Amino acid sequence: MSGARLVVGPFNRVEGDLEIRLDLDQGRVAAAYVNAPLYRGFERMLEGRDPMDALTLTPRICGICSISQSAAAARALGSAMGLEPTPQGAAMAALIHMVENASDHLTHFNLFFMPDFTRPAYAGHAWHAQAVARFTAMQGSAQRAGIEARAELMHILGLMAGKWPHTLAIQPGGVTRAPGPRDKVRIAATLRGFRRYLETVVFGGPLEAFAGMQTVAELMAWDRGDAGLFLRIAGDLGLAGMGRGAGRYMSFGGHGFAAGLWDGGMQALDLGGIREDLSHSWMLGEGLHPSVGQTLPDEDMAEPGYSWCKAPRLAGRTVETGALARQVIDGHPLARDLARDGGVLARVTGRLLELARLPGMMEAVAAAIDTGAQFLAAGKLPQVGTGVGLVEAARGALGHWLRIEKGRTAGYQIIAPTTWNFSPRDAAGVPGPVEAALVGAEVREGETSPLSVQHIVRSFDPCMVCTVH
Amino acid sequence: MSQIETFYDVMRRQGITRRSFMKYCSLTAAALGLGPAFVPKIAHAMETKPRTPVIWVHGLECTCCSESFIRSAHPLAKDVVLSMISLDYDDTLMAAAGHAAEAALMDTIEKYKGNYILAVEGNPPLNEDGMYCIIGGKPFVEQLKMAAEHAKAIISWGACASYGCVQAASPNPTRATPVHKVILDKPIIKVPGCPPIAEVMTGVITYMLTFDRMPELDRQGRPAMFYSQRIHDKCYRRPHFDAGQFVEAWDDENARKGYCLYKMGCKGPTTYNACSTVRWNEGTSFPIQSGHGCIGCSEDGFWDQGGFYDRLTTIKQFGIEENADTIGMTAAGVLGGAVVVHAAVSALKRAQKKTQEKVEG
Repeated sequence: MSGARLVVGPFNRVEGDLEIRLDLDQGRVAAAYVNAPLYRGFERMLEGRDPMDALTLTPRICGICSISQSAAAARALGSAMGLEPTPQGAAMAALIHMVENASDHLTHFNLFFMPDFTRPAYAGHAWHAQAVARFTAMQGSAQRAGIEARAELMHILGLMAGKWPHTLAIQPGGVTRAPGPRDKVRIAATLRGFRRYLETVVFGGPLEAFAGMQTVAELMAWDRGDAGLFLRIAGDLGLAGMGRGAGRYMSFGGHGFAAGLWDGGMQALDLGGIREDLSHSWMLGEGLHPSVGQTLPDEDMAEPGYSWCKAPRLAGRTVETGALARQVIDGHPLARDLARDGGVLARVTGRLLELARLPGMMEAVAAAIDTGAQFLAAGKLPQVGTGVGLVEAARGALGHWLRIEKGRTAGYQIIAPTTWNFSPRDAAGVPGPVEAALVGAEVREGETSPLSVQHIVRSFDPCMVCTVH
Repeated sequence: MSQIETFYDVMRRQGITRRSFMKYCSLTAAALGLGPAFVPKIAHAMETKPRTPVIWVHGLECTCCSESFIRSAHPLAKDVVLSMISLDYDDTLMAAAGHAAEAALMDTIEKYKGNYILAVEGNPPLNEDGMYCIIGGKPFVEQLKMAAEHAKAIISWGACASYGCVQAASPNPTRATPVHKVILDKPIIKVPGCPPIAEVMTGVITYMLTFDRMPELDRQGRPAMFYSQRIHDKCYRRPHFDAGQFVEAWDDENARKGYCLYKMGCKGPTTYNACSTVRWNEGTSFPIQSGHGCIGCSEDGFWDQGGFYDRLTTIKQFGIEENADTIGMTAAGVLGGAVVVHAAVSALKRAQKKTQEKVEG
């Protein structure tokens, strides 16, 4: 297979459209080129509009992380107004956001990631029959239970956000819905139900026990629930060493998790150092900081461009973002131990770890709801100004950069988590995080959609519609 | 087609009991606004008819329609509807990937030629020969045309497929184009909303699968059973509108009392959808109940109507109400030809009947 080339795509069970070109050498991936083949031009649409339109338009970039987009837009507008949400308004926005992030992690595990282990190619493995029963696409028992638990958890979004996807409840000054005592009780009851589901089905034990583990050795001994099944598979297939990242992690922080940059140790996070490189994107113009950036699609789709995705770099380097990054930067000992390998096992466990931690955090917010408090503060947009909204979506760091002139949006730039992770090469030829992680992946004889490539790509939980928007 | 299982076979194979099946039939009848007399008809149809295959394709979109769909609270939907329609091709949920996925699509089209329903989420961008949305190396518009050619009917899920939605917002950078402007020779049912309500989606699809024809459509091609009334008509805050009691600012005293959001820019009075009756997230709530006005996401052109917080100026507080078709006509007129409105209503009705017969035949 030396010198062969393979195009993998369209990728299913990821959000949106994705195509990956692989150069092969001796049964291994020698180079990978990630193409995000869907472009809609949201940033262009926002220009010239009332800045408040961002609250309606940007969530519609994505039907899966719609609340993250909504929260980032609200923050960007709030920062342009010089307005902070009221404490209870901020707490409710955080609760809504945590519900979405937890739901996304659950969806990824049950519907997107685990079904790969039911493939006939794995039929010889001891765990295969169990994987098939639990995770066969659209039929597995775990999938049904997961969809049901998620729908019930989302009653909180029904109550607080009116509808999901695409809520309008999150505003720069807080939330439009002031929960009453009845809502408080219902939210607490819904969260209890969700915890019960996680503890019986996903983890097979107390959430605190899972979240309390410190080392990878401890983790690999966890044999209960669907998490236990995953860990057994991970051990058998060597997922720890598969798809290793560069070990540089970034998090904007949010709802209780710390912000920062990790590169073998904690570093200062200077967002002034962001540049969106366009050398290998079908975009015109020069690589700029998003506060002054532009989106000018190259209709000729000229070489060497190969993706609609821009290539954001922090101080000239790639960073990986997501649940693992968030947990590493938050200082979780297990996450830091996992980061030594930083492969498929680490990324998927990062999500499970967060899934085990989020219910406790949501319960605390719910218990502290003060129904008499103010949930929304009024603010006024300036005629000229700038705003930045930084949040942590399920898939990682999401930023909105807004520029207002004459009371209208003059510039709006969005860098989504998957833009960081799935970026193409930069001017120096340095591949994006996924492109780099794919190098060395095993391609077995006759494989047209190599399993290892699929595991690695899905371990990042890409959201392609957010990537290019 | 004789080798294809019936719905009932499929459901029993999925472990659904006879009792649950009958319950499902009666709840379906109720959800569709049909009387108890229809229950045995539905049951009979499902026991004897081969199941209808569904191909679900994604264009320029955000997957919010699929997200909404899999959260349906429709009677037993989580088990029944998903197994019943057995999405033969759906690139968000299915098992196959890459070339195998494309092969699965071709196989499904070939196997069920002329008999499957094509469900479209999102829409094709036409600028640059469709290069803004590429599936398997080809523009999505080609996949859409190919899949549509042998479909017996098409469902346009959501505002994207029905009208264009936000990606068609000015200046419409990719020329995102609704399905009915690309596919001209097939019966199309529009199920607008961003996303549509899950129960509306399952209701429409259940109706089509059960009775093997389209439900009654309004002049804009929407199922009348869900889109014949305005959100305003059944809004629980309506008494406050009639009493002239309005929210004046976010989270003010009036907001806490649940007064009408009209002055905050609510588009409920001009929006035809079932949000105020069916509600969202398993009947929990809907946007107005969460304290934010309706933005009219199931209406054509909602994304380009000026600010989302601007107050409607064209509605009367009291007076003779109009129906969806006449209001739709006025609204569409304002939009300046965004929809085909100038054809005579009766001609459209005739055409609609014809397309229904085509589906039946």
